[in-house]
Amino acid sequence: MTISDTVTGSQGAVSITGVQKAFAGRSRKAPGRQALDGFDLEVRAGEFLCLLGPSGCGKSTLLNLLAGFSEPDGGEVLVDGTPVTGPGPERGVLFQTPMLFPWLNTLDNVLYGPRARGEKGAAPRKRATDLLQTVGLADAAASYPHELSGGMRHRAAFARVLVNQPRLLLMDEPFGALDAITRAAMQRFLLELWERDRMTVVFVTHDVEEAVLLGDRICVMSGSPGRTRAVFDVDLPRPRDLEMTDTLEFVHLKRQVRESLEASL
Amino acid sequence: MTSDTLKPDVATTTVDAPAQLTLAGTRRGPSASRLLWGAAGIALALLVWELLSLLKDDHVLLPTVPETARTFVDYLSKRYPAVGGKTLWQHALVSLGRIGLGWSAGVVIGIAVGGLMASVPVVRHLVDPLIEITRPLPPLAFIPLMIIWFGIGETPKFVLILIGVVPIMIVATVAALDAVPEELVQAGRSLGGSATHVLLTVRLRSALPSIITGMRLAMGGAWTSIVAVELIAATSGLGYMINNAGVNLQTPLVLSGIVMISIVGIALDTLLRLFHRSIDPTRR
Repeated sequence: MTISDTVTGSQGAVSITGVQKAFAGRSRKAPGRQALDGFDLEVRAGEFLCLLGPSGCGKSTLLNLLAGFSEPDGGEVLVDGTPVTGPGPERGVLFQTPMLFPWLNTLDNVLYGPRARGEKGAAPRKRATDLLQTVGLADAAASYPHELSGGMRHRAAFARVLVNQPRLLLMDEPFGALDAITRAAMQRFLLELWERDRMTVVFVTHDVEEAVLLGDRICVMSGSPGRTRAVFDVDLPRPRDLEMTDTLEFVHLKRQVRESLEASL
Repeated sequence: MTSDTLKPDVATTTVDAPAQLTLAGTRRGPSASRLLWGAAGIALALLVWELLSLLKDDHVLLPTVPETARTFVDYLSKRYPAVGGKTLWQHALVSLGRIGLGWSAGVVIGIAVGGLMASVPVVRHLVDPLIEITRPLPPLAFIPLMIIWFGIGETPKFVLILIGVVPIMIVATVAALDAVPEELVQAGRSLGGSATHVLLTVRLRSALPSIITGMRLAMGGAWTSIVAVELIAATSGLGYMINNAGVNLQTPLVLSGIVMISIVGIALDTLLRLFHRSIDPTRR
C-alpha cells in the first residue's frame, strides 16, 4: 500500500541504446570477449520485461549495467531519462541467491537501506514491518537468515529491496536455485506483488515457461556478443496464475518462444 | 568437589579450541558425553603422570601431581626469586601485559595492512612477497637480532610479538576480505549505502568472523614469541620464571609455570571465542 502511493505508472522507464561492453582477456594477447555490441532495448514504465537467453548471452551483463555495478564501454543506459552512473536504491536488485546479511536479523536486513541512507524517524520502521507483513514474514522479523527457509530468505530479500520504494526492479534468475515447489510459490508471490505495485521489472531467466508466465514482453537474446533475437508480446490476461500454464494460448506461445530460443543456439 | 566441577570446564576449552579453529560453526554447544570424555582424557593424562613419577621416585626429574599442585598454589602468593622476585600471578600479569600490548598493536597493524592489500592491488603485489618470505621464519630466529638492536628492555619483546602476530593477521585479513562475495557488497551498494559505508558495514563486517579466527591464531603466535624471548632476555614474566626455576632444578615450579601459561592462554582464547559468538548469529 505504501509503495503504490509513491510509485506512479510513469516511472522506471528504461532506455538502452547502442550499448557496448567487453571483458578483458586473461592475458594481454588473449582477445577480450565482446559481451554486448550495440545493444538496444526499451522498457516502458510499469512493464514486466523478461530477458531470456542461454548462459553467456550477455543478459547478466546487461542487468549489471542497469544496476550500475559496471559501466558500458559505449552507448547509453538511461533510467527515466537519466544516465546510470552507479548503484542506487531506486533500482532494486535481486540476485540469484538472496544475499541477505547473515549478521542481521530479518527486520534489520530490511532496514539496511533506509539506515544506510540516514533516513530518520519511525517511517522506515513502519514501512519495514508493513512489508514483512506483506511478504508473510511478520513472525520472522527477529530471526536470522540462517534460521529461514529458502523461500523465506527470498521473500526477505524482496522486502529489503521494496522498502526503498524502487521504480525499477532488476532480477537476475532470482528463483534459479530454488526447488520446483518453492519456485512456483515465489512466482505466484512475485505476480501478486507486481499486480499490486506495478513497478517496472527487468527479469533475467533461462526458463521459457517462467518468462511466458511472468512477462508482458519477452526479449529473446543470443550471444555472443549478445543481441536481440526476437521480441514476443505476451497477450495473456492478468492476473495470471499457474493454472494458465495448461491453456492452449500459453502452450502455443511457449512453443514459439522456445523455438526462437533454440534457433539462437 | 571443586575439582569435579572444574574439570569439565577445562576439558571443553581444550577440546573445543582446535576443533573450532578448523571446523568453524560445525559444532554447537558441547554435549554432556563430550564433556565427560574430555574430563576422562585429562584425568587419564594426570594418572599416567602420577604413575610415572611414583615409579621414577625422583622429584627433580618428575614431581608428583599433588606436589606440583601444592607448588602452584604456594607460589600464587610466594615470590620467585625470593629476593626481588614476583609471585606466579605477577609473572603471569607481566607476560599478559606484554602480550596485550604487542598483540593489540599487531592486530591493528595486520588488519590495516591486510585491508589495504585486499583493496589496492599495487599494495598487494608489493607486500605479498615480503609476507611469503617472512612467514616461514620462526619469530625466535629474530631474538639475537632484537637484542643487538634494542637491548633487553621492553622494546625487543614488543617487536618480537609484532613479528609473530602481524603476518598471521595480514594473511587472515586478506583471506577473509577476499572471501566476501562480490554480490553481498553490490547488494549493500544498490540498497543505497555509500562506498565507504558498505566497506565498513558489509565488507569488513562480513569478514569479521574469519578475522577473529585469525586473532585467535595470532594469540598463539604472540605466546610463542613472548615466552621464548622471556626465556632469554628478561627479569620477569612466565618465560623468565620457568627458565630460572629450571636452572635451579625446581621442577614443580617449572611445571606450575607451564600450567599457568596454559590457563592464561585458555582464558584469552575463551574471551575471543565469546566475542566471536557474540558477533556471529550462526554460531549461537
